[in-house]
Amino acid sequence: MKSSEVRLERLSKEYGRTVAVDNVSLAIEPGHMVALLGPSGCGKTTCLRMIAGLIRPTSGDVFVNDKRMTDVPVHRRNVGMLFQNYALFPHLTVEENIVFGLEMRGMSKADAARKVSEALSLVQLSNFGKRYPAQLSGGQQQRVALGRALVIEPAMLLLDEPLGALDKGLRESMQVELRALQRRLGLTTIMVTHDQDEALTMADKIVVMRDGKLEQVGSATEIYQRPASKFVAQFIGASNLFEGPVEQRNGSGAVIRVSPELSLQVDQLPASASDAMVSIRPEAIIVERAGQASSAQRANSVMARVDQAIYRGFVSHYYLRTPSGGQIIVFEQNQSQQAGLRYAVGEEVVARWESPSNHIIARH
Amino acid sequence: MDERFSGFGAFILYTITAGMMVFILAPLLLVMAASVSDSYFVTFPPQGFTLKWYAKVLQDRDFLEAMRLSILLALGTTAGSLLFGVPAAFALVRGDFFGVAAIKGFLLSPLIFPALITGLALLQVLNKLGSTDARLNLLIGHIVVTSPYVIRTVVTSLQLVDENLEDAARTLGANRLRTFWRVTLPQIASGVAAGGLFAFMVSFDNYPVTMWLANSEYSPVPLVLMRQLVNVFDPSVPAMSTIIILMAMVGVLILEKLVGLRRALAA
Ligand SMILES: Nc1ncnc2c1ncn2[C@@H]1O[C@H](COP(=O)(O)OP(=O)(O)OP(=O)(O)O)[C@@H](O)[C@H]1O
Ligand SMILES: [Mg+2]
Repeated sequence: MKSSEVRLERLSKEYGRTVAVDNVSLAIEPGHMVALLGPSGCGKTTCLRMIAGLIRPTSGDVFVNDKRMTDVPVHRRNVGMLFQNYALFPHLTVEENIVFGLEMRGMSKADAARKVSEALSLVQLSNFGKRYPAQLSGGQQQRVALGRALVIEPAMLLLDEPLGALDKGLRESMQVELRALQRRLGLTTIMVTHDQDEALTMADKIVVMRDGKLEQVGSATEIYQRPASKFVAQFIGASNLFEGPVEQRNGSGAVIRVSPELSLQVDQLPASASDAMVSIRPEAIIVERAGQASSAQRANSVMARVDQAIYRGFVSHYYLRTPSGGQIIVFEQNQSQQAGLRYAVGEEVVARWESPSNHIIARH
Repeated sequence: MDERFSGFGAFILYTITAGMMVFILAPLLLVMAASVSDSYFVTFPPQGFTLKWYAKVLQDRDFLEAMRLSILLALGTTAGSLLFGVPAAFALVRGDFFGVAAIKGFLLSPLIFPALITGLALLQVLNKLGSTDARLNLLIGHIVVTSPYVIRTVVTSLQLVDENLEDAARTLGANRLRTFWRVTLPQIASGVAAGGLFAFMVSFDNYPVTMWLANSEYSPVPLVLMRQLVNVFDPSVPAMSTIIILMAMVGVLILEKLVGLRRALAA
């Protein structure tokens, strides 16, 4: 299958006074898998359906391989689409479902039959061709839907929360399966999800949306390590967010005063900034017993009391409270021989971290 | 219902149900009984047993002609109201245009307006338009009164169809017409069948609209029946009625066989 380049240019959709998608521009490289990620109602589905041609944009355009698609009707766009509820035709068997798209293309019976059996083996359902959708499990149904979408050799694959209705274990194995298949076929794929783990697992590129707008576009590591906004920092993973005025400049960096007991050393800060917002990932923070650590006032270090301690298998979560009332979340990886939690609730500890872990949030 | 009613509640329920059935069925059974009475007047209880009234009815040129007209009219009406009602229902459910609610109310209004008034209004309009063919006028009038039944059953079954199915079909390369034909229609078949059967039956025994639009040359069954009732009230009238009752029962059985009555009427 040849891969397509997909480009959105200033795409908008308004429903009365609601702006579902607001001026979205995005380029998707051929063969890439892109995840549209964001909270409920942020416009992910609307965006995907505009790419499919199921919704007409209020303004803006969709280009596929530099061809303007905006006026091309859905049934001529050659897109493969998967829906959250599978959308298999209940009155047709698995084979009849899969052959549907080929019939619409006027393919001969013999060719179509061959393609259908190829598609069935691709999605590992060779023995299920004669069954009706109601006689299949959720995972099998979604595989039929995948076979039905792939058999037409689509220019791109569009997935709207395709695994949302499956249980956790099956969802994770389907994620890996789907990703491997997509890579093998080199099929440009756009997936909608509100599950950040799914986006991080599957996508080459993550597009974080909020209120119909693009919030940040980047690889999983970029989005996770360098969130561009407070929203992204909080939406993807957990974050400790601190805010304060610049207390002192040192070279290109500065010291930020968060509270009487906490100051942050940041290595880079624009000269014009008079204050800053900093995010620190919970796993970057090291916890030590109060007695062991030097109690001298240093940057990136603060005395605290353990408020809550949760053992979660390979990691422990600690919720710390600083004397001035601020909360710090710490994730600490457990060692295999370790006996439970390392710190008890109520214990006095010191939390500290290295200055490269202080990430400046550009947009508050 | 999986759980059976039991105890005193069940007794009350079954009694009321049985009462209702007697109330609905008794008049029909009375008519059927009267049709085999060996007397020259409609009497109850029937005296003796004879099929001579059926023989008489089946040789009655007027009645046979009326039957032919009524059946053709009902078939034409069924086709017409499906042809009009199914797309209308589709537009009402899937359409996203201004005034959908108002148009829906308008299309269903013949269900609420007294049929007598609808018939008179139709007669006036058709006269103004210079349409003097009674058969055509009857067809138009019957389509007007039966379409709401089709629209209503089809709207209800369309509302249950998952729109994603249609979207999936379209992404797979089906235009709107093929999507409707291959995906939507099979989902709403029971609603369409029920609407069609309603249209047929309503057309077949419609009196108030038919009365205005028929003439002496083209008189459907209900008019002939009424005339007989007024002129010669012998057991041939119950015999005619029994034939119609049996036809209705056959229709219901066919529907039951085709789609299951419960499903069709859940519409
Ligand atoms: N047909 C419609 N008419 C009016 N408003 C709509 C319509 N479809 C979507 N919207 C609105 O547009 C916004 C975006 O909807 P959309 O379905 O794209 O969200 P989403 O990101 O897919 O959310 P979710 O994760 O819940 O599926 C929402 O505020 C929604 O209420
Ligand atoms: Mg959605």
